[in-house]
This record gives sequence, structure tokens and C-alpha cells, in this order.
Amino acid sequence: MSTTLLSKAEKSFIQAGLLSNPPSRADGRSLHDFRTISLETSVAPLANGSARLSIGRNPYDGSGGTEVLAAAKLEVETIQHGSGGVEGGKIACSVTCSPAAYPHLSSAALEDLQYDMTTILQDTLTHPSLHPKNLGILSGKKSWLLNLDLVVLVDSGNVYDAIFMAARAALWDTKVPRTRSVEYKAKKSGTSGIVGGGGKAGDSGGDMDVDEEVVSGFDTRQIQKATDFELPDYWDEGEVLDGRQNWPICVTLNIVSPVHFLDATSQEEAATPLRVLLMISFDSSQSANIQGMRTLGNGELTVSQLTGLLKDGEKYAREIWQSLNTKLKEDNIGLIKEKNKF
Amino acid sequence: MTSSTIITNNSHARIVEFVSTLFAQHLAYTGMASRVEILNEGGFRSDGRRQFELRSINIDLSQQGHADGSASISHGLTHVLVSVFGPREAKNRSQTIHDRANLNVELSIAAFSTGDRRKRSRGDKRVMEVAGAIKSTFEPVIQTSLYPRSQIDIFVQVIQQDGGVLQACINATTLALISAGIPMVDFVCAISGGVHSTNPFLDLTLIEESDVPNLTIAVMPKTQKVSLVTMETRLHVDRYEEIFRLAIDAGLIIHEEMKAAVLARSKTLMTCIDLGTHGGEEME
Amino acid sequence: MISFASFPSRYEDTTYEKTRHHASVKEDFMDIDDAESFEAQGSKLTCPGESLTSSQAYMRGHGTYVENEEVIASVAGTIERVNKLVSVRAIRSRYNPEVGDLVVGRITEVQPRRWKVDAHSRQDAVLMLSSVNLPGGVQRRKLESDELQMRGFFEEGDLLVAEVQAFFSDGAMSLHTRSLKYGKLRNGQLVVVPPILVRRLKSHFLTLPCGVDLILGLNGYIWVSKHVKENEQEGEEGFDAEAVYSNVNDDIDDSTRAAISRVTHIIRILTSRFIPLSDTLLLEAYEWSVEHGSDVKDLLHQDFGDALVVSITSGQ
Repeated sequence: MSTTLLSKAEKSFIQAGLLSNPPSRADGRSLHDFRTISLETSVAPLANGSARLSIGRNPYDGSGGTEVLAAAKLEVETIQHGSGGVEGGKIACSVTCSPAAYPHLSSAALEDLQYDMTTILQDTLTHPSLHPKNLGILSGKKSWLLNLDLVVLVDSGNVYDAIFMAARAALWDTKVPRTRSVEYKAKKSGTSGIVGGGGKAGDSGGDMDVDEEVVSGFDTRQIQKATDFELPDYWDEGEVLDGRQNWPICVTLNIVSPVHFLDATSQEEAATPLRVLLMISFDSSQSANIQGMRTLGNGELTVSQLTGLLKDGEKYAREIWQSLNTKLKEDNIGLIKEKNKF
Repeated sequence: MTSSTIITNNSHARIVEFVSTLFAQHLAYTGMASRVEILNEGGFRSDGRRQFELRSINIDLSQQGHADGSASISHGLTHVLVSVFGPREAKNRSQTIHDRANLNVELSIAAFSTGDRRKRSRGDKRVMEVAGAIKSTFEPVIQTSLYPRSQIDIFVQVIQQDGGVLQACINATTLALISAGIPMVDFVCAISGGVHSTNPFLDLTLIEESDVPNLTIAVMPKTQKVSLVTMETRLHVDRYEEIFRLAIDAGLIIHEEMKAAVLARSKTLMTCIDLGTHGGEEME
Repeated sequence: MISFASFPSRYEDTTYEKTRHHASVKEDFMDIDDAESFEAQGSKLTCPGESLTSSQAYMRGHGTYVENEEVIASVAGTIERVNKLVSVRAIRSRYNPEVGDLVVGRITEVQPRRWKVDAHSRQDAVLMLSSVNLPGGVQRRKLESDELQMRGFFEEGDLLVAEVQAFFSDGAMSLHTRSLKYGKLRNGQLVVVPPILVRRLKSHFLTLPCGVDLILGLNGYIWVSKHVKENEQEGEEGFDAEAVYSNVNDDIDDSTRAAISRVTHIIRILTSRFIPLSDTLLLEAYEWSVEHGSDVKDLLHQDFGDALVVSITSGQ
């Protein structure tokens, strides 16, 4: 997907710089330095969670940075054949590339590129091990569909890391509305009356009739009695997504054998024969899980090289993960302060 | 000609936005649109504005990525980002026009921009329609004949919508074209207006747009020529004239805002240029 | 190795924090002589649709048009008046070529007997096969075999420095590299800046004392490379085709590489703050940065850039 045209001399200049000792890059960074990352959350008031992220944006004229916008939106789905709902809720990701991010690509090529990005994000984030537990509303009836939409506004290199970081920040920021179960109790006379059920506890008394709509006679869970839900009357932010610290991050290792470097600019990407994307998550005990891996480019890699890369990749990922978490927590405090001003 | 006052006021707009947000989210979850009073007895609209009060306008002309010119504008909660590339070599040779530049407008609407999530593809009818409206609005305004066989790309990204998307797109495009240094006959300033029973009002939100007959006009302030009028609803011809004149007046107010932003940005950049030049001379 | 920051507050500008009323009091004719309100240190600013002056007394130049006997601005920028000619220079725009300009460009396409070159202008420039130096001397006839091996001279992606030779009827420019100063670029990296920030200088080939050559293309493309001695460049026989069209870089030692990196950075620091480049300014900035920061990495810090700009613009 190299969209930047470079001459052979430029490519070899960049490669020679990376291989020299000490290595030198066009902007003076060392091999494993990132450009400055700017991040803010809750940028889209109409979404349940959102983030705007930029890598390497020049603070003066706003140029030169990779910029991504991410937003999560929740929709209610009915769990039924043919209506798409899944027990426990589901996640759907999509990445759109603004033509302004790739001004030289034709619209067909742009379409391919965003399809590719969507696939990588979707495959990684929808893994069962990451699924948040609080996306269900009513067992067997309703669930949340979490739509995670990303827009790549500018690509100045390292777009995959940016996508995953933005996605993680938006998911971190996502609040799921609290719901209350409601039951329509069928009376003998045939008219329906509404009885409120107390939260998801479901044990609000044994005198409720099972609604006729419930077909399964085997399922005896009490929650089945509730047939619909309502939002609380007061304005409520909702609760955060379950397991939000588990969302993976991506670290792209750009390989100019024998060295590798991080956070490549577009020019550096064009001069790099092989890039390895590592999607890594950290669980509560801080041990790393590889959630996905992908190579880009036509270079090759030996197995022994890969083992070393995985080890290094984990180290970088942990660093990114930690500083991202710190930033998100800081932002959270900032936002709460701002809200209290009202 | 109406003697009424058109106001843009930022101070209570924040609260207005906050209220609109709550409403939009509520709408999204429950699917219920509670009946909203468009104009109450005290003369206030659903978001607390007066009839002729415009929403707060924020303009950012700083550079975006690799674009030759870019602008972001928000009218209340509606937020649009435009990047302009060109005039440059046409991507596709068959698109070139021998005596003027070809305008290429591409619009994309973020899926999360509305209360209800909706993903629109590039070929979506509504998207094509808005892109077409932008193109035809700007074709007579840009001096395309100066750039034969070139192409000017206008990439519009709608980030958030709460009514008046077309007006925001047009205003942002004007600003982005100016910041790209592309010669234009004049600014193009767009605004929406509607009529509730017999009361005209300006700069409609999404709720108002879906409830009352409305139109969007784009006006060129110098000549007061109108380069775009769209209306998809029915409106009495007498009311039409009233709202049309009112909208032209409002367009001139928006022009003041846009001009102030352009001049402020030009001034900042020129100060830097002068600073560098004079500093350099002193050293010699 | 990784750091996070917040976005600068976007709406801190207070220009719009006021109530505006529609009134007919605003002046509707901004005369060329009373535009003080938009003056930035002597440059008068205007924007599209503003009347500048009467077309009977003045002639219209670039960035203006005439309607109803008025000269009206069509771009936002500074008003320039030379005798009776009024023009407006846009603050940011693509490169507007003039014959004789030195430009740096990139080959985008190889066509029969010509190359297309991106030079950040309204259209790709054209470099004719007949406008380049060919192996075997300047005087010889162009052969069919030359046409077949055009990619051996320049191929897609290659960077070159050239001079604007002429214009075609549609406004596209034609380039030539028929000088030993011009031709393919090696041993360095490209920086792209807004064209307005590259001023016309006596020479656009600069050599900094740190062993770095600079080519300031008027189109805003700047080539920063290792210094090549002039006699080496020319070769004994006058023209060495193999060297001129080579894609292989020379050996570049670490200090030169660091210097190239440093110069690139200085250019970025200056241009991101919209300060136009000149030879004296660049030299001053380079010396300042060596004096105050031992490492190129220091230049990445914002404060350092700020200090640099303050220092050189105050002329100390």
C-alpha cells in the first residue's frame, strides 16, 4: 500500500541511515522512538465513546501527522432468527479512509485499503477472549450492538498503530447505558399490564407468568420473564465497558534487516521492505497475549528472527500500553472535573 | 426587507448544544421522538434560541495533513471538515477539460455523525446529491478557466450532523478553497431557513428540519447573487419570499464571520513572514 | 520512547466570542488606501470579493478580476501595487512557475520522448527527452535507442533539479536539465514546504559549512544532501553520464548524515512557523543549533524550536 513515491536514491539513503551506527533517521529520532502522540477522548457527543488521535502532528501548523477519529455507538438488537442479534451482544468495526488521507489513490484502491484495515481491526477486536460481558440486555431477547467506526483523516505513516490506539481509546471512553427489565404480564382478561422488574436481578417474585412469546421450555432462567427494557428516568452516563483495559494495541515493527524500527513516517514505510503488525493485549496480571499478527510488504523473515521480534514487540507494546493507560486515566479525571463545572 | 435582528451568540450556545446532545441520544435508544414544540409562546425554539438567532459558529483554518487548503467549521453541533487539493494534475486523464479546471467533489459522512448510526457508501444517493449541489454551487464561483486541464479536488468529511449539513459543507468549502489560494469571484455563504406556521426562522437543527418546511440558500455577498437554493418540502409562495430574503440577510452575517476568520489567519501568517524577513535582514 | 499529549484547544481564538448584529453600518467599500484595519506590518490584506480600486485608474494583475469598473480581489492575501498594476498575492497556494525558475521535481510518468514531472504546480511539468543531457556529449544527435532507454535516465519516483524553460499553451511548464548543475538528485532527502516560504535568492544552490548542500526549489521542494565538490561533479571529460544518472548514493559518513538531519529539522521548524527561508537565516539557525544543542534529537523538542526562532528573528 505504499502510496509515497520515492526514488531509488532516497530509499537507499533512508535504509543506509537506519543501518548506520548509530542509526539515524530523517527527523533525528532513534530507532524505537515514537513521534509525539496527541489524544483526546469524548470528542463526538452523539456517540457513546469516542477519541481523536494524531501521531506526529506539528503543533504549529497542524501538518504532518497521522490522524484518526474513532467513535463507538450502541444500538439495540433483537435476538431472533434473521434479525442479527446475538446472545451477549456483538461488536462491528469499520474503518473509512478519507480521500484526503490518500490524495493520490483512486477510489477503488481506497476502497481496498479500507476493507483491509476493517478486516484487521474486526478480526482482532471481536475475538471471544476480549468480548465485554455487559453488552447483553435481556437474555434471549435484546442485546447491544457496538458499532466501532473509525475515520482515517490523514496518513503520514504508522496508520495501523494509530487505528488501534484510537479504537482502544474510544472503547475505553464508551459508556453502556444502564437498563431496567420490564415485563408485560398477560392477565386472564387478555389486556396487558406493565410490571417493573428490579434491574437484572430477575428474582422479583415468583408470581409472574412466563410470557407466551418465550418458546423454549427448557430455559428456566428467571431473566426470561422480562420481555422488554427501559432506560432509567434520570439522565445517567451509564457504565464503562467490561474489561476495557484488555483491548489490544498494535505495534508495527518496520524491518530493514537486521534492524527494526518503530513509528515509520510515510517515506520510511516506502523504503521498508517488510512490516510486521503485532496486536498485543495485556490481561489483569499484565501478561501479554498476542491477539493477531500480520506481515505487510514483500520482504521475508526467518523463524528465528521472528522469535526475537516477538520478544521486542512485547516490550514496546507494554510501553505503549502503559503510557496510553496513563493518558486515558488523566483524561478521565480531566473530563470529570469539566463536568463538575456545570 | 425585514428589520429584524439576526444574532450569533456563543455564550448560551454551549448549553444549547448540551441539551441537543441529550435529546439526540435519547432518540437513538428509544426510537421515540417526543413531540417537540418548534416555537413556544415565549418565542423560543426547542434549543432555547430566538427565531433569527444563529447557532455558534467555530472556524478553524489550520492546515490538515497534506491538503493545499483546509477548513473546519461547526454550526452548533454540526461539524464539517473540508480538504482541498489542487489545482493539480488530474488523476484520470479522461476527466480533464481543455479550457478549464475540473472540480471533483467527494463527500463522506461519518457513520457516527447522526443520532442513529448509519453508514453511507460512496455511491449513496443522498451523498451524491449533496456532492452534486456543492459542485454546482462552486463551479461558477471558482475561476476555473485559469487552470485548463487541471483538477481541483474538494474532499468533504461530515463529522457530526445536527441539521444544516449542506450549509456547513458549503461554508467550509468556501473557506478551504480560500486557504488553498484558489481564485474565486466571491465568498459563498450558505444558511438554512424554515417556516413554522407563519413564523420564519433561521439555521435549523435536525429536529426543526424534520418538522417544518425548510430551504438552504447560498449567497455571494458582494453582488448578493444566490448561487444555490434547495427545498425539498412544500412552502407557500408568500412565505417563501419572506424566508428567502431573511436567509440572504443571514448569509451576509455568516460572511462577516467567515471573512473575520480568513483575515485573522492571513494576518497571523503574514506577521510570521514579515518577522522572518526582517529578522533576516537585520543580521546582514 | 513514547509520549502522549493533548490537542491544543481548537477554539481558543476569541475573535468570534462576540455578538454580531446585522446592521447596515458596516462599510461596504474597502478602499486600497484605507485598509489599515487589516494591516500586518505594512502588508495590506484582502480576501475574495473585496473591491480594491477602480479599474479606470488601475490595471488588474494576478489574483484580481474586473467587474463593473472595479478591481476586485479573487484570493486572500496581500495587495501589491506596482505603478498602475494592482495584484493580490495569495498567502498559500500551489507553485506559480515563471520562466527561469529553479525547481525540484519528481518523475511521475514516462511517456514517449518525454517525462511528466510533479513540481507542486497546477499540472505536471514536462521534461522532453531533447531537454536533457544525453551520454556522449551535448552535440550528438538524439537516437532511437535513447528513446528505448528513457528509464535508464529517469524513472518514476526519481527526483531532479531543473529550470523552467517555457510554457505550453495550456499553462503547463516545460523543464530542461541542460546544465551540469541540473539533473538527478542523490545523497540526501527531500523537504516539502509552502512555495511562498522560498524567496528568490541570488543562488538557490547553497553550501553550508557543515558539508551540506541545499537546493531551494522555488516550488517549495527543498533538497538537502551531502556536499559534492564542484570538480567532482563535473568530471574530467565534462560530462559523465553514468555518474549523472546513477541511482547509487556515495558513502555518507555519520557526521554528514547528522548534519543533513539537523538542516532538515531547522527547515521544518522555520516553515512550520511560516518563516521564509533565506541563506543567511539558515546559516544563522544552523550555527545557533550547534551552539545550543549537541544532539539532533534536541531539535525535536518544541521549546528548543521556539528558542531557535526567537533567537534568529530577533537578530541576535
